[in-house]
Amino acid sequence: MKALRDALAPLAALVILLALWETVARVFSFNPMVLPPPSTIGLEASRSAGSLLSGALSTGRSALVGFGLSTGVGVLAAIILSSSRVLERALYPYALFLQMVPIIAIAPVLVVWFGHGARAVAVSSFIVSVFPVIANTHTGMRSVDPALRDMFRLYGARRVATLWKLELPASLPHLFTGLRVASGLSVVGAIVGEWVAGVVEGDSGLGILVLVANRQGNTALVFAAVLAASALGLLLFGAVSLTGERMLRRWHPSASGS
Amino acid sequence: MRGRLVGLLGSLVLLVVAGACSRSKEGAQQAGGSDAGGAQAAARVKLALNWVPEPEFGGFYAARDQGAFKQHGLEVEILGGGAGVPVLQMVATGQVEFGIVGGDELLTARARGVDLIPLFAVYQTSPQAIMAHASRGAKNIQDVLSSGTIALEPGLPYAAFLKKKYGFDKVKVVPYDGGVAQFVTNKDFAQQCFITSEPIAARKQGAEPVVFLVADEGFNPYTAVVATRRELWKTQPERVKRFVAAVREGWRAYLDNPAPANTVMAKLNTTLDAETFAAAAQAQKPLIETEETRTRGLGSMSRERWETLGRQLVELGLIEKAPVVDEFLLPEFTQAPGKTSP
Repeated sequence: MKALRDALAPLAALVILLALWETVARVFSFNPMVLPPPSTIGLEASRSAGSLLSGALSTGRSALVGFGLSTGVGVLAAIILSSSRVLERALYPYALFLQMVPIIAIAPVLVVWFGHGARAVAVSSFIVSVFPVIANTHTGMRSVDPALRDMFRLYGARRVATLWKLELPASLPHLFTGLRVASGLSVVGAIVGEWVAGVVEGDSGLGILVLVANRQGNTALVFAAVLAASALGLLLFGAVSLTGERMLRRWHPSASGS
Repeated sequence: MRGRLVGLLGSLVLLVVAGACSRSKEGAQQAGGSDAGGAQAAARVKLALNWVPEPEFGGFYAARDQGAFKQHGLEVEILGGGAGVPVLQMVATGQVEFGIVGGDELLTARARGVDLIPLFAVYQTSPQAIMAHASRGAKNIQDVLSSGTIALEPGLPYAAFLKKKYGFDKVKVVPYDGGVAQFVTNKDFAQQCFITSEPIAARKQGAEPVVFLVADEGFNPYTAVVATRRELWKTQPERVKRFVAAVREGWRAYLDNPAPANTVMAKLNTTLDAETFAAAAQAQKPLIETEETRTRGLGSMSRERWETLGRQLVELGLIEKAPVVDEFLLPEFTQAPGKTSP
């Protein structure tokens, strides 16, 4: 019942927004190539459901691999950075560098390294989404309660035990914040990757579909493909949020709602 | 708090306006100081190109800089384009009076309810082609498509045409990136090209390409077509006719001597050197001036060609119904004034 009530506000906002859009597009009779009304986009989406679905599967797969890499590499990098002040000072600027990489500019290099296809696309997704995982996990591990750290030291806990039993659990809320940001970014990274390093025939993703639709002046399909990409991002975001809530529910205030 | 918000919004608006202004200034600079103080009563119009200044557009720069536009009472600002510049939409929404589009683009737009009309077709034979390394020994496009990798712009109509004709199951299709770097480094790499552009660039970098025109395969849309929206034709037919006449004179001048316009364009597009400009201008000549244009005039268009293209686009599933040619091809533009049809 409560869930229903929570969903009501955004749902109402959506309905109003769509109605407004439809009205504006029709009243001012914009050409559908410039601004297609939602009804046209819906029709086009159902007409092209097949290519939207196969595109979403392809892009989703690359984004998922990129996101998985970001999670693994990101946490590992955070552990390394947190293990010593010297390492942190030496390496953190370069981790930051990843954040600054203009992916569209480096994508041609990915083609040179990995060839066109799913691998290069997944790497593009990884590069775009890894930094929030590193930064947030790192912050989490750095902000462990000093009293608890003292206690671990007092009891002579080994480095690995401190990491496994104290630092990692304590950084979970931060980690999941990073993962939530990374989930959306991984889809963005995959789409941009496809533009340069994807394949046009066969296993082609939503990014290619956007280009095709745009070239053919089918703006409604562009919108439909963009919405499908957003839905992918939301799906990943939802899955991460849900997992995070499950894992944190029992002990962390950010998930228990109090 | 509210004051701050208003301030923020205000500065945002300012930013947008400033952005728009600086962009139009850029455009003016690109137009390159074209006799702003010339004929007082000259009508100011804009022409949007769909690519960077190249010999493909030589006639337009010649018309601007050698006085043809001025003689016809026009002051034309030429906006250089590039990848992703939505020329069609710019013409459709009236941001510019005239724009350069592909014949297939124009028909697709018409099928979607955008009332654009073609005025002048620069290329009678489409310069769109496929290039591959000579070392592969391919004799035609079918051979090229039988192995390796080919870079094609996603959604390109002639890609759909080639796919239907030969199939893409033996070749890996990747997005075209506008350059030739991958081509030069990979012997199994083929790509789409304009016969007037990429092959010349690739040769300069030491590659030995062979080039096959897509037109020879039976898909030959008018290319580099000057288009305007119906609205402008209805309200100011004289201005449109004068524009077309000046463009025709510009192209005549450019075909006879491309050097002056090339010098102007080379300043706007520094990626090509003078030699490349000259070579491209030479290479495109037979595609622009044909038997037909000798009798009907440069840039003229025929019903049959537009009909064929419409039918082909329907067959390829790119549009549902071919637009009726008589609705958009005006008799004024099938033949230059003063020329008699054969």
